[in-house]
Amino acid sequence: MNRSFSISVQQSLWQIPALIALAVIIALGVNHWRSDGIPLVGDWSMEARFSDAAGESLIIELAQARRLFEEDDGVLFVDARLKSEYAQEHISGALSLPWQDADRYFAETAGRLESRKTIVAYCDGEDCDLSHELALFLKDMGFENVRVLVNGLTVWRKAGLPIETGN
Amino acid sequence: MMTSYACCPTDISRTPSRVFIVLRLFLGAVFIYASYDKILHPQAFAQAVYNYRILPDALVNLTALILPWLELLLGLCLAAGFWLPGATMISTGLLMIFIGSLAFNRMRGLDISCGCFATQNIEGPADLWTMVRDLIFLAVSIYLTLVVFFFRSADLQSSASKQPLQTRFRP
Repeated sequence: MNRSFSISVQQSLWQIPALIALAVIIALGVNHWRSDGIPLVGDWSMEARFSDAAGESLIIELAQARRLFEEDDGVLFVDARLKSEYAQEHISGALSLPWQDADRYFAETAGRLESRKTIVAYCDGEDCDLSHELALFLKDMGFENVRVLVNGLTVWRKAGLPIETGN
Repeated sequence: MMTSYACCPTDISRTPSRVFIVLRLFLGAVFIYASYDKILHPQAFAQAVYNYRILPDALVNLTALILPWLELLLGLCLAAGFWLPGATMISTGLLMIFIGSLAFNRMRGLDISCGCFATQNIEGPADLWTMVRDLIFLAVSIYLTLVVFFFRSADLQSSASKQPLQTRFRP
């Protein structure tokens, strides 16, 4: 038993770096030669994280979103969070379209979405990606003017702008 | 040292048990299966790694690129019974890191499916199941590691090209 242990330890001391090195070489090599490879150091800045397929940023600033809310009838805010979170509080007049069940809710709400000029998707939290995913989804469905209000609920509330509760 | 080994191997079992082989194949298959989708969709996996909010941004892509291939190699080694000391150690280490990351995020209320901090606890049974599942894999991996390190005689550990130590030192 003792012998087995020391041999195993010796072997693992070179096998571990060898496996890791092999994984690194293959990974970088394959990534380099494939057409859908990714950069070795990604751009995880907010602009990059909230862009569309073409790399254009979908972010809308609070001031602009506020202006649309107050002046433009053609805007529709869409809440990408769960129904339960929407019921707790949401931006006044916003539509609930939980990303987790987007297909189903989209079928139900497509009528309300179609007539709008601008759609502003939002969720809660700076790192929340639900709004981004929902925006991409809506763009795929053919809506052209879709934006994302990052950390929407919190910044909206902090600015003292209208919030509703319930369904 | 040479004489004692040539004459009296002290290892308890010289042939791997059926349980060991089955579990080795099982864990190998798990790793191979886990790596497949991540290799095919690197950007999506990078987003998933990012959503854990643990690594610094600069390391996200490298991790997303290298990890799946490491899993594939581990799976192949485990399935083939190749480089087992190294493979079982890395496998156990990786699983501990995965479970640790899940537990850490569960504790700080981060929903890893979207990378957002939930204001209320909306975690479904699915997330708990993931951790239970990974704990089972970890248990298997620990078992394999212990068997490889304590109960395998040297000639079974060596790769095919090496001669068994016993025949080499026979007078």
